[in-house]
Amino acid sequence: MPVEAPYDDRLLHQRVVGGDESALGEVYDRLSSLIFGLALRVTRDRVIAEDITQEVFLVFWERPLAYDPERGTLRAWLATIAHRRAVDHVRAEERRRVSALGPRLFEREPVRLEDTVLAADEAQRVRQAVTSLPEGLREAVELAYFGGRTYRQVGEELGVPEGTAKSRIRLALRRLADALAEEEV
Amino acid sequence: MDPVERLYLDALMEDPEVPARSLRPQLLAGARARRRPAAPTAAWAEPYAGRVAAMDALLASAVDDDWSRIIVEGWTLQELVAHLAAKDGLLAASVGAPVLGPPIGAVDSASRTNDVQAYERARSPEQTRRDWRAQADALCRHLADLPPATPATVDGLEAPVNDHILARCLETWVHTSDAAETAEIRLPDPIAQHIHPTADLCARLLPFTMLFGGVDGAGRTLHLTLTGAGGGEWRIALGVADAAPGEPDARITADVKQFCFLLGGRGDPAEFPAELEGDLSLARDVLATAPSLSGP
Repeated sequence: MPVEAPYDDRLLHQRVVGGDESALGEVYDRLSSLIFGLALRVTRDRVIAEDITQEVFLVFWERPLAYDPERGTLRAWLATIAHRRAVDHVRAEERRRVSALGPRLFEREPVRLEDTVLAADEAQRVRQAVTSLPEGLREAVELAYFGGRTYRQVGEELGVPEGTAKSRIRLALRRLADALAEEEV
Repeated sequence: MDPVERLYLDALMEDPEVPARSLRPQLLAGARARRRPAAPTAAWAEPYAGRVAAMDALLASAVDDDWSRIIVEGWTLQELVAHLAAKDGLLAASVGAPVLGPPIGAVDSASRTNDVQAYERARSPEQTRRDWRAQADALCRHLADLPPATPATVDGLEAPVNDHILARCLETWVHTSDAAETAEIRLPDPIAQHIHPTADLCARLLPFTMLFGGVDGAGRTLHLTLTGAGGGEWRIALGVADAAPGEPDARITADVKQFCFLLGGRGDPAEFPAELEGDLSLARDVLATAPSLSGP
């Protein structure tokens, strides 16, 4: 799981900075369903999720220099923007609903997350969700994300084939997403 | 990004979903409205069109304070953009492309820069950005139908238009890098296909930079190896009137981007990181005089 952007990301970024529209199309083809899936997970509204997806790629095109390949993958960068917009939308909706119900007991300003995706309490929930995974899945996730191992190395350490390690991690991610979604209600 | 955050975002992305309708055509139309793509032009002018788009991307992120910050030559970002527009306009005038901004008076870079800067100071920075971009795009459109060998003269220097446009590419690249440095923004390199012709121009300019720097390289030959994406190998006769290169008297190996920037007047020749072989004093003369054609 490399943290620094791979060569492909760098090349696409160079092309987008140089005003090459077809590069934006390629980024969209590669990542739009992931970004749309993320936005849908958070907002649970297909129309809103489509708008957010569109906006994420437009922002990347308009200000491509905001992305720095030295600091992470393009996928993570776009996911961060999508997450922020989706969360902003959900919070705005909540405020709208609450104010429609009458005066609020206390004001809570929406948090502006500048460099982090997760507020401290959310990060805590993610860690909690990891500990409640079945052991085989938990180990795989911990090695990959907290130990910085590749799929192959995870497999070696757990004594399973690389493909098995990969599918365990993916299964773990799906379970985490479900667990986190349930708690958000 | 910390591991917990990566884990969380990856979990959210674990269920890829396809939007009900393809958003792609809409996306590209929307993108064009937000930031103009590189102008369509002749293949040999594409490196320039790409650097113009990159400068525009940098300017898209500029906020009020950024425009009044001094970048280089004592110029603010707005004045620097006006300077680029001025020189682009001189090349445009030389090949019959539309010249935007104030009517052309004196046709040397320094005077034209003064004229355009004075004209732009009365306008908003955002307007200056649009004026510069309009001039650059008008030049690109005009070059689309021009033979690359069309002669052009800028600042008394006559050369084929395809060499002049590569010089504009280098200058736009160098100034974008200047502005990015001031703003502490990391600027990605141009793609290799755009760097290579720019480096080729720089290599072919060496006999002239030497002469201009007061060293006559007549009868001497340099083997130049430029490393990195867009680099390559060149064998260069160092006299401007030499018929053909001979056996190399000296060899220089350096990074392609640093070499282009050295000719663009960035970096100290004495400190320039390069491997030198053969006649070392000749190699050092080549490097010492490399910036001699660079101006503001």
